[in-house]
Amino acid sequence: MTDLGEGSPRLDSRRRDLEKDQAHVARGTYPPTEESLTRPIDPEEAEAQADRLRAVWDDPPGWRYWSAVNNSEVGVWYSMTAFGFMLIAGALALVMRLQLAVPDNELISADRFNQFFTMHGSAMMFLFAVPMFEAVSILLLPAFLGARDMPFPRLSAYGFWAFLIGGVFVMGSLLFDAAPSSGWFMYPPLSTLDEGLGTDIWLLGLSFIEVASIAAAVELIVGTIKCRPPGMRINLMPLYAWYVLVVGAMILFAFPPLIAGDFLLELQRSLDWPFFDPARGGDPLLWQHLFWIFGHPEVYIVFLPSIAVAAMIVPAAAQRPMVGYNWIVLSAVGTGFLSFGLWVHHMFTTGLPSISLGFFSAASEAVVIPTGIQLFAFVATLLAGRVKMILPMLWIAGALAIFTVGGLTGVMVALAPFDWQAHDTYFIVAHLHYTLFGGMVFPLIGGIYFFYPFIRKRTLSERLGRISFWLTFTGFNIAFLPMHLTGLRGMPRRVYTYPGDVGWDTLNMISTVGAFVVAAGILVFAWDLVRPKGAPMSTRNPWNAGSLMWSHDIPDQFWGVRSIPYVTSRNPLWDQPGIVARMDQGGYYLPDAREGLRETIVTSAIDARPQLVARVTGPAWCTIWAAVFTGGAFIFPTFSWYLPALLSGIAAVACIVWWLWTSTALIPERPMKDVGLGLSLPTYVSGPSAPGWWGVFITMLGDMVAFASLIFGMFFYWTARPDFPPPQAEHAAGGWVVASALLYTASWAATRAARPVQRRGRVPLAQVLLTAGALTATAGAAALVLSVSGLDPTSHVYPAMLYAVAVWTAAHTVAGVVMQLYCLAGTVWGKVLPEYDAPVWNTVLFWHFMLVTALGSAAAIGLLPRLL
Amino acid sequence: MAGRDKPDLPAHRSLFRTILAPTVWAVHFLFVYGFSAVWCAKDWGAAGTLSWSITAATLLALALIVGLAVAMWRQWDYMDDNDYIHDLSTDEHRREFLGHAGFMLACLSFVAVVFSTMPAWFAGTCL
Repeated sequence: MTDLGEGSPRLDSRRRDLEKDQAHVARGTYPPTEESLTRPIDPEEAEAQADRLRAVWDDPPGWRYWSAVNNSEVGVWYSMTAFGFMLIAGALALVMRLQLAVPDNELISADRFNQFFTMHGSAMMFLFAVPMFEAVSILLLPAFLGARDMPFPRLSAYGFWAFLIGGVFVMGSLLFDAAPSSGWFMYPPLSTLDEGLGTDIWLLGLSFIEVASIAAAVELIVGTIKCRPPGMRINLMPLYAWYVLVVGAMILFAFPPLIAGDFLLELQRSLDWPFFDPARGGDPLLWQHLFWIFGHPEVYIVFLPSIAVAAMIVPAAAQRPMVGYNWIVLSAVGTGFLSFGLWVHHMFTTGLPSISLGFFSAASEAVVIPTGIQLFAFVATLLAGRVKMILPMLWIAGALAIFTVGGLTGVMVALAPFDWQAHDTYFIVAHLHYTLFGGMVFPLIGGIYFFYPFIRKRTLSERLGRISFWLTFTGFNIAFLPMHLTGLRGMPRRVYTYPGDVGWDTLNMISTVGAFVVAAGILVFAWDLVRPKGAPMSTRNPWNAGSLMWSHDIPDQFWGVRSIPYVTSRNPLWDQPGIVARMDQGGYYLPDAREGLRETIVTSAIDARPQLVARVTGPAWCTIWAAVFTGGAFIFPTFSWYLPALLSGIAAVACIVWWLWTSTALIPERPMKDVGLGLSLPTYVSGPSAPGWWGVFITMLGDMVAFASLIFGMFFYWTARPDFPPPQAEHAAGGWVVASALLYTASWAATRAARPVQRRGRVPLAQVLLTAGALTATAGAAALVLSVSGLDPTSHVYPAMLYAVAVWTAAHTVAGVVMQLYCLAGTVWGKVLPEYDAPVWNTVLFWHFMLVTALGSAAAIGLLPRLL
Repeated sequence: MAGRDKPDLPAHRSLFRTILAPTVWAVHFLFVYGFSAVWCAKDWGAAGTLSWSITAATLLALALIVGLAVAMWRQWDYMDDNDYIHDLSTDEHRREFLGHAGFMLACLSFVAVVFSTMPAWFAGTCL
């Protein structure tokens, strides 16, 4: 074994900057030598290893199956649930089309129609499009990366159960005639004045689902950057992984503004704080901004994963590597950025200055450049290869055609003067359905035909697939092409009926017929998906594709991969002959589970150098309980049951702490482990090498965005309203604000200081520091709340905004204090040792963000209003 | 010196450096939008002055983007080996890939910044 320690000839290849904080670092040979990769393997030992792996990764038997956390199980549940919600939302659309088939129809009442279009849009967006991306990615990503599982399997499971509970709650309201009815974008004042529970169900139920979505996004980002196989540097990542990375980052920047908006709107509805009430200084337009800062990137969050699916199908159909890998990365990243500069194009008719409209119109046109590049890269790949018109490729071709039409009408409506004419008409309905069907539904179904052999080890029917395609494709165009004309003839969207003889009758009837043809196509597909299919396939790689996924085992094995390969190519199955056989024999990394633990390899973010054997979590009930109680905390306030909500919230925190304490960052039995091919890796790392640290970092990045949205709200009121802050307004108590800033800084400093002190083994001092940190943080939160307690938040939006910022910061302090106490308890009960201190690192990281939040709120509450 | 013998610095391993140019676009975009919103709301003066202020911000942003593009072009090091496919698991290929992607992102950001300046000249009014 070549040792890479001091004086070794291959010292240069080390990464000192990545290892400086580590108690233990990788030792041995990396990259693996040719000799170690061809060394013969003892079949008997390999079989014993395989048995051990199988035992560790197997699903729990019987009814305990539902406690499974394997990505292969959770991914299937997740995607089937999302597909179920899609069918329900589609059924709502069919009822709406029936209602609109003829003029002056009385099939359903206006209010029910409002509930249906609201739930159709909300469910398609929040319960189908985004969760479906996350579900499919949870299912497929580890296979693309040759990983055993996602880095935080229990987090995926938690996200799924939260999604299920929230989705059933929101959809269930339809059965009680209590569903939200103010449209899927919930504009105030309609939504603030709405008397039923609908708006609250929407706000709280969907906030809950958004939290689950962000959890999944964190999981996917960390999975992409830390769970790639050794050797798969960033320039070799499958394009799917690139898109997952971009979309995950977009979710992180797009969802938090909506959560901030939900927070404000729900505060207005339950406590009458007038954020959107112009009579008391509020402004309904703030909601539109926050909603569309989420809502427009959302379109791309939906679209890019589907393009990612297409990017895996196209090379397989063309039987050659993608032309212009760099160009696709460019366009994915470029689209991710530019899509955030478009949101006001949903607000062209709100009377903003024309120069502002101009910026968003220009950015809307600019985003066409990267979007076009990726489509051209696909076309180029197809031209350069010898295309086999496999069924998935048919769906992708249909998607490209439909999406292009949607893109072209998009260029039209991005122009403000045209939009003024078409706004809120059926032209927009046609445009958005062309982009979403072309950009999401078709690629997704194509993707399911493509990936089904991997997921279920059987193939879907070629014949049913073609029938389904042609029904869906023709039905879609029959339904939506005439809507352009209906819209241009002036029919507004969201009307439950219309008078006859204004030129809309025939067009609407055609659309209704088309909608049922689409439904027939989707049902054929659904039947194909669930029908019994007989024996498993005989071939592992039915499309002769090049990605690692197609090294999967038939029959299915829960271990993900038998051994984690060393990858040197973008298409390992095409370019690295023998890789699958070698993986099967256990000839790569981590072929064994000697300790009886679920393990996967964690590598460095850019160069995928092995850093850690991560012990990942196994089946558990605590994740389900955590999801149930989190659900309670979100759902009870809908009915103004605040005490049960609070108790439920506390129970949720208790479940999560239990889950973290009992199964994450466990003290390993040995600091290092031999992973094969002459390499040993640490079994525990702290700080930036650890997936948990990245999880905290990425979550807090999203949290910062939500906080920034609140502060944006203050600036917004300042520009939009002459009376913000009102003249002679009472300000927050300056002394308390200063005290709070100082106390928070002290808490941060104590926590930060505790880390090196603890590492050097001076545990009692670290305990003192952590205790001091928790106490000063609590005092800081109290001071912040006291500073605003003299004001009346219902009187005007200015004190309401100060209250909202204070409440936000105080709530985060609770999390910060829980983390400090967790570390303290860890040092007392041996969960945190000087050498094994990952929780302390994560807490310090949280507190960096907490300090920014605290000082930002102090400035926003105490300083800014006095300057404005 | 052949590409594989060139020094590989921590900066060459930075994904954040690669996406710096679009970040400049984002900051520029937020600035011009926010600045003109405040300008119009607070009635700070003639629209012509606003257009010139935006143009000044644009020139600054473009200068930054060009600077980044040059740095990324150097990291791509195309003239050295005319390599535009970076599909090997080597330091050199990763370095050149990030440079290549960063260079193209800088080009896109350049165009996007120009796009978001045009309204200042073609629709430069608060009405």
